Amino acid sequence: MNPTLDLLYRLADDQLILGHRNSEWNGLGPILEEDIAFSSMAQDKLGHSLQLYSLLHALGEAEPDTVAFTRNAPQFHCCQLVELPIGEYDFSLTRHFLFDHAELLRFEALATSSYEPLAQVARKLRGELKYHALHANTWMKRLGTATDEAIERMQRSLDFTLPYALGIFEKTDAEAEIISSGLFVGEDELRGRWLESISKVLAQTALEVPDVLALTPVLGGRHGQHTEHLQPLLDEMAEVFRLDPTADW
Amino acid sequence: MIQSHDPRMNRLGLPDAPATAAAKGALDQFGTYEAFHQKKEGAPFVYVGPVHAPEADVAFLFAKEQYSRRFACTGLWVVPTAAITVTDYVGDQEWAYDSLPLLTNQQAAATAPPAGPRSGDDTAAEAAYAAGEEDYDIFHLKKRGKAHQHVGKVRASSPAQALQVAKAVFSDQRPVVNVWAARSADFLRSDDGDRDIWTTTPEKKYRDAISYKVQDRIERFKAETGTSQAD
Amino acid sequence: MYGSASTHDLPTTALTGLENEDPILLAEFEARINRGEKIEPGDWMPALYRKQLTRMIEQHAHSEIIGSLPEGTWITRAPGFRRKMAQMAKVQDEVGHAQLLYSAAETLGKTREEMLTDLINGKSKYSNVFNYPTPTWADSNVISWLIDAGAIVNQLANAKGSYGPYCRALDRICAEEAFHLKYGHDAVVHMATGTPIQRKMMQEALNRWWPAIMTFFGPSDKMSVHTEILMRWKVKMASNDECRNQFLDMYVPKILEIGLTLPDANLRKNEETGQWEFTEPDWEDFKRVINGDGPCNAERIAVRRAAEENGAWVRRALLTPKAQYVRPLA
Ligand SMILES: [Fe+2]
Ligand SMILES: [Fe+2]
Ligand SMILES: [Fe+2]
Repeated sequence: MNPTLDLLYRLADDQLILGHRNSEWNGLGPILEEDIAFSSMAQDKLGHSLQLYSLLHALGEAEPDTVAFTRNAPQFHCCQLVELPIGEYDFSLTRHFLFDHAELLRFEALATSSYEPLAQVARKLRGELKYHALHANTWMKRLGTATDEAIERMQRSLDFTLPYALGIFEKTDAEAEIISSGLFVGEDELRGRWLESISKVLAQTALEVPDVLALTPVLGGRHGQHTEHLQPLLDEMAEVFRLDPTADW
Repeated sequence: MIQSHDPRMNRLGLPDAPATAAAKGALDQFGTYEAFHQKKEGAPFVYVGPVHAPEADVAFLFAKEQYSRRFACTGLWVVPTAAITVTDYVGDQEWAYDSLPLLTNQQAAATAPPAGPRSGDDTAAEAAYAAGEEDYDIFHLKKRGKAHQHVGKVRASSPAQALQVAKAVFSDQRPVVNVWAARSADFLRSDDGDRDIWTTTPEKKYRDAISYKVQDRIERFKAETGTSQAD
Repeated sequence: MYGSASTHDLPTTALTGLENEDPILLAEFEARINRGEKIEPGDWMPALYRKQLTRMIEQHAHSEIIGSLPEGTWITRAPGFRRKMAQMAKVQDEVGHAQLLYSAAETLGKTREEMLTDLINGKSKYSNVFNYPTPTWADSNVISWLIDAGAIVNQLANAKGSYGPYCRALDRICAEEAFHLKYGHDAVVHMATGTPIQRKMMQEALNRWWPAIMTFFGPSDKMSVHTEILMRWKVKMASNDECRNQFLDMYVPKILEIGLTLPDANLRKNEETGQWEFTEPDWEDFKRVINGDGPCNAERIAVRRAAEENGAWVRRALLTPKAQYVRPLA
């Protein structure tokens, strides 16, 4: 695939699927105020994906709605991390923490991308992502230093989630060209920055951080190999949309 | 298990006939913080409402989305509810400072001249701070049913004194229905560098009434079906 | 959404207890309301005023949080980006409204813990319409448009009431409701003027919801209990029949103009009286449902309970020893 399309699809699909997942918490959060905050960030992710699919559309791909609502799992380029069911709040928060650090750093790097339309989007989203990271860090630090129960939960979630989080940085065949053309600094570089960034926060908690780079990453998502959770998610998401493909909803 | 039309609830697995839920304990929902926002640069901070939160940093996260997700915002403060001292409420045409306890002449002399907030290298102020005085933020309610507004800071050694000082400093502001005073140190405030967390707020048109314009579609439908007016 | 009238839960006996109030304070209190001044939390107020307002604002808050569920049912299935994002934002707003209203009720002395405990134990009422299901996307749209429209009629009236914190909450809420109403209308219009599948879905949803909509404002004033004192104190701001009539005036033409029909052969406006006539809703059924025996009562409460219970460990973890509760100020 053309390196620009390759990059955009990965970014957009991640945002769509995680935004969708996080929206499942709407009305079910641990306290009303957090319910509201978490919903805002899910909406933001949907908004990011829409902007990215719009860039793809400008490059000749189908309409954002068609791309988002009619493809099947093998055609998705998201990492497996984002497809996992929401689980309990410890998992959803841990995923949010691990993903949004990568997201913040990724868009920071993309602000100077050689593909100017993408760089523009990335620059605009800076402040929004800053709030996401602030939210994630605050929760991680609070729960990671709280009761034994909370620390134990967060530790279990962290141990479970980290290998999936490494899947964020799975490379595709286009990687070399993406870097050489100045589109993006590349996944290895991003992973290094991410590790440094999450480690700083985790160091302020009672959580034990394993040797992350020694973990076996969960890969495949970028190449259309997904968990058993993605197709049901897509079927659910498109249930109404597919009732009448000719309709304008 | 309850069968729901909501797939999320089916995943949750809701029991059919749950036993009585235990009563929530005190502080299950935490204490509260009061939030103030600034609509645009230079505008006074205005009271927007409380959030339930365990700590100021969490209160800030919560207040940001509950009170500033919709409209332009350039700043946000949160302060524990318990940290605010409140005067009596008076009528819409009155002055709440009149309801403060009257001062003896001695006390009045100690309050005057009106002490302003910390400013530069004012040695008298430094001495006052060293002696235990602190800055207080003062908020006025101008009309019942409206919201408290920040009017400025005063320096004092207690909330009661802060109100007395404010009475002198803000003597030209009337009517004042109610006054809040809180130690400046008790606030958590966004700083200028944080302002970009609100950059994209106005662009989220999908939650704006004005982005839903459907009249054309209705007119087209009426023209096509010939239902000029159904009744 | 959803002011007090919709729950039909005012005391059936005459409102009493005023004889125990200090007559001078009571006169000052009433004079303040007559002058058009708001009552604020620090003010003296009759016990009955506090009690009725608490009940009303609390029920309103419950109606928001429970009211987010029938539309939340479609949050993962909203078709297309535009709808998906708006549906999320709307459901979020309803949760936000609950937060605002619980806070307003708290200023009167009942804690959020107490209110939520009552809700998840089925002790509190909320707007009865939310005890009905949303089996299709179109049902969700009908709520977004018409239940919110009804709620706005109530809320705009209540925003002129006498209690400052409630008015402040309602001002904020009404601003957001403008989006709900437009969004709901937009979604209904798209379906009603859309493909045959869409039109059929929408008409069926409207048929399902119309009887509930007609009960939304509560029973006719003729059947209603004595509420004069609550009107005088500007706790209850408009009669059920006035609200219903205003709603029908505004929305029946908008429903009909997009080719939808209403499932009540007797629905018509009497041009002489200016009043709408319609088949009297089944108030016995209404009572049965509000007392717990509706299609979704158990689910609504179970969902709220699950949310509270699943989040308990989070709240336990964050609680700090220095925490203290004082009533929110305003
Ligand atoms: Fe994010
Ligand atoms: Fe609402
Ligand atoms: Fe609403």
